[in-house]
Amino acid sequence: MSSRRLPRLLQAPAVILLLFWMLVPLGMTLFFSFIRYVLASLNRPEWTTPSIDNWRGFGNYAFVLDSKDFLFAIQNSLLIVGGILFLTVFFGVMIAVLINKVFPGQGIVRVLLISPFFIMPAVNAVLWINMILDPVLGLNGLAIEGINSVIASMRDAPVVGWFFSLWPEFKPISFRATQTSAYAVIMMVTWQWTPFAVLIFMTSLQSEDEQQKEAAILDGAGKWSQFRFLTLPHLARPMAIVVMIQAIFHLSLYAEIEIVSRGNGNKNLPYLIGEFANNNIGAASATGIFAVILANIVAIFLLRAVGKTLME
Amino acid sequence: MAIVAQTSKLGIYGRPALAWIVALVFFFPIFWLILTSFKTDADAVKPEFLFFFTPTLDNYLNMTENYDYWRFATNSVVTSVLATGVALFVGIPAAYAMAFNPARHTKDILMWMLSTKMLPAAAVLYPMTFLAKSLGIFDTHFAVILVLTLVNLPIVVWMLFTYFKEIPKDIIEAGQMDGVNTWGEIKEILIPLAWGGIASTALLCFIFCWNEAYWTVRLTTTEAATLSKLIEGNRAPEGLFFGRLSAVSAAAVGPIVVLGWFCQKQLVQGLTFGAVK
Amino acid sequence: MGQIVLKDVVKKFGDTEVIPPLNLTIEEGEFAVFVGPSGCGKSTLLRLIAGLEDTTEGQVLIDGEDMTEVSPSKRGLAMVFQSYALYPHMTVRKNIAFPMRMAGMSEDEQNIRIEAAAKSLNLTDYLDRKPGQLSGGQRQRVAIGRAIVREPSAFLFDEPLSNLDAALRVGMRLEISEMHKRLKTTMIYVTHDQVEAMTMADRIVVLQAGVIEQVGTPLELYHSPRNKFVAGFIGSPKMNLLEGAEAQKHKAHTIGIRPEHIKVSTKAVKGAWKGTVGVAEHLGSDTFIHIHGVEGCDPMTVRAAGDVAVKHGDKVYLTPEKSQIHKFDEAGLRI
Ligand SMILES: Nc1ncnc2c1ncn2[C@@H]1O[C@H](COP(=O)(O)OP(=O)(O)OP(=O)(O)O)[C@@H](O)[C@H]1O
Ligand SMILES: [Mg+2]
Repeated sequence: MSSRRLPRLLQAPAVILLLFWMLVPLGMTLFFSFIRYVLASLNRPEWTTPSIDNWRGFGNYAFVLDSKDFLFAIQNSLLIVGGILFLTVFFGVMIAVLINKVFPGQGIVRVLLISPFFIMPAVNAVLWINMILDPVLGLNGLAIEGINSVIASMRDAPVVGWFFSLWPEFKPISFRATQTSAYAVIMMVTWQWTPFAVLIFMTSLQSEDEQQKEAAILDGAGKWSQFRFLTLPHLARPMAIVVMIQAIFHLSLYAEIEIVSRGNGNKNLPYLIGEFANNNIGAASATGIFAVILANIVAIFLLRAVGKTLME
Repeated sequence: MAIVAQTSKLGIYGRPALAWIVALVFFFPIFWLILTSFKTDADAVKPEFLFFFTPTLDNYLNMTENYDYWRFATNSVVTSVLATGVALFVGIPAAYAMAFNPARHTKDILMWMLSTKMLPAAAVLYPMTFLAKSLGIFDTHFAVILVLTLVNLPIVVWMLFTYFKEIPKDIIEAGQMDGVNTWGEIKEILIPLAWGGIASTALLCFIFCWNEAYWTVRLTTTEAATLSKLIEGNRAPEGLFFGRLSAVSAAAVGPIVVLGWFCQKQLVQGLTFGAVK
Repeated sequence: MGQIVLKDVVKKFGDTEVIPPLNLTIEEGEFAVFVGPSGCGKSTLLRLIAGLEDTTEGQVLIDGEDMTEVSPSKRGLAMVFQSYALYPHMTVRKNIAFPMRMAGMSEDEQNIRIEAAAKSLNLTDYLDRKPGQLSGGQRQRVAIGRAIVREPSAFLFDEPLSNLDAALRVGMRLEISEMHKRLKTTMIYVTHDQVEAMTMADRIVVLQAGVIEQVGTPLELYHSPRNKFVAGFIGSPKMNLLEGAEAQKHKAHTIGIRPEHIKVSTKAVKGAWKGTVGVAEHLGSDTFIHIHGVEGCDPMTVRAAGDVAVKHGDKVYLTPEKSQIHKFDEAGLRI
């Protein structure tokens, strides 16, 4: 009542800002998704401004669902997110268990390991796709060219030359094709986010019950059983959180796709929206609504998991 | 202890060795970026100079000419610092209210704030561009700061909330009994007590702002463009400029990586909304 | 200065009513102690007076003025918390100075009062330490110091001693009592420690489930508890309550007899209650004997002065002092 009113009002600015942030643009997207709205339309100039007169109902949704890009983008979104999730969790658990015990240089190892996480996405993409994965000029191309030239020179060598002449010339893999560039994205994001998983799993491992472990050892549990029956269940919750937080981040992956895949046909949902948004705003908005629905499905699970522990 | 005896020779030497190998593998791309930044553009694409070359500082010295680096860097600093400041300015009172004067709906409000974070940015891309352009704030610092603030506000409120909740309520109440008003509670008690938590929140928020790569790319062209935009605009697959591109990239991420080393712990709390401690 | 009146005060948390309509007057200069089982609403009541909780209904009057809507900082009360609630980032001196600084008192005046408080609380040597570097007892004294310097119209204590060890508790108890004698300021003190309540209070307020069961001086409560609950709650060990045939003899539904009002003997006594010793606790000054087999009350506790040589399994004969028998009707009220 009286004495508490002011303190409670203090949350108003944050709430109002976020309410605005959520309702206004999302409302506009919803509205645009139901009208014909095309930025450059020579024969239908009335479509170039948003207006209720251009009502299209679910037409944009139908259009989007029909376009083969949409299905491809969804598939690709799921492939990329799924790939990253699997790899980061797998490597995350392995590395966290590996470095959890004290050993010389543990601090430095941690610092080295965590570093990729702070690289800005644009730099991450440029670094990987150009300097590392480029089939000609990147480390990928350079290294294979180097190996090939070593082999070539060995062919003329005495005695062992015959052996090397059996070897084929190695070819670098190109990561600029539609599908391989998706793998490139998976690779670079996994590199960036595995440290995040490691960090969380390590934090969680530190709260693992040592006495329980000692009891298990006395009960005759081997290393593998300890890991399988104590450590893994202990990590179940952090794993769920890692999975869901990453899912939310990676479903809206953009910079990496933009840099790696521009023009080669590879795309995910956000990228497709960007493409549509160059001209067909109606379609872009309908795709956006699909993206919101997809994100919400994930978000509901995350909110459940997080909400429970936090508010007790 | 008997348990120590179980550790085999392999465990004693193998584990650290493996850990070091893994760490070096993960760090290698960054090492490679730094290494390349000291090569000339020509050397950078020659196999014979993979590891042995004549290092040069030219790439760093010429960053301004080549990329106008400092302009973008200034934009990054200005927008990140101000957005962090505004987020704290709005977030501290909000988190204070929720932590110490919870109402029936506080929990729902917090959850809802978190859910705005999950709104895919791409879904509102066009409306945001449209709004920014019609309000005349497209490609301005103001727009970038506003968006960065909004994007990070939920995380800021959540992190502060988890820190504030650890302060015993008694202390705040003692303050009330001692005659402080609401502003005094925040200024005299809360901020000095939660100083560490507020600093880590600020640090993390700053890192997120600095690395943000959707809105900073889509809502700017030149005036307010940040380092993300700079790198994105020079993705140059031709490979002619690997040396200088590496230098400017290293300069863009260097400060943040170092900052990041200092807030690993907070990162866990912040990114998992306190659910993993 | 310092009269506190609660008028039809109601407190609900959501839908649960913690304090049903309650009326209570605490007189100026009085040392009032709230006791009651855990969760009965003692702290809530204290916090309602302090203003840290809002009343759902009713009024809180301080010196005749309606303070119901006034914020805690403006009620002129001081509170000492169970957790001490010192400001960990300030030195002892700053902690004590804080309320005076907030009140805009001059530095000189602040220093005079700090020195005086520190002297009376034996804190002079610790003024420049942070709370983290103090022992529990010292922290408690700082909390008290912080409360006295602002010369409040009343002090509120919420179980201030329960985090201290037994020896310190006795010392601090005396210090607070002495402080009350000296300052003559109203004090409201929440505890669930019998001894604290009996020794410190001018008046004790016994609460159960938010309802006041009885208000009175310690001896009033001891000698004439208004009902079974108060009878069982005040006094240690607890009063023995007997039902059935034995109570019928006294024309009551239940009779109560305090352990210290029962004579115990190992030889047969005519008309005495018979029982078998379960456990005998030898304290030196007293012996607490827990006896099984007495009809209507199992176990029955007896407190005998000095060391009484009984052990498990001994047959004993118990004679209550007739004049000390309390009688209660079916509703549990005193007859
Ligand atoms: N903020 C709150 N929200 C809901 N219920 C509460 C709240 N504070 C107290 N209660 C409830 O009100 C009742 C009284 O609590 P209170 O703290 O006043 O008890 P108490 O007599 O001080 O107990 P103790 O001796 O254990 O300190 C309890 O049942 C408690 O669960
Ligand atoms: Mg209490």
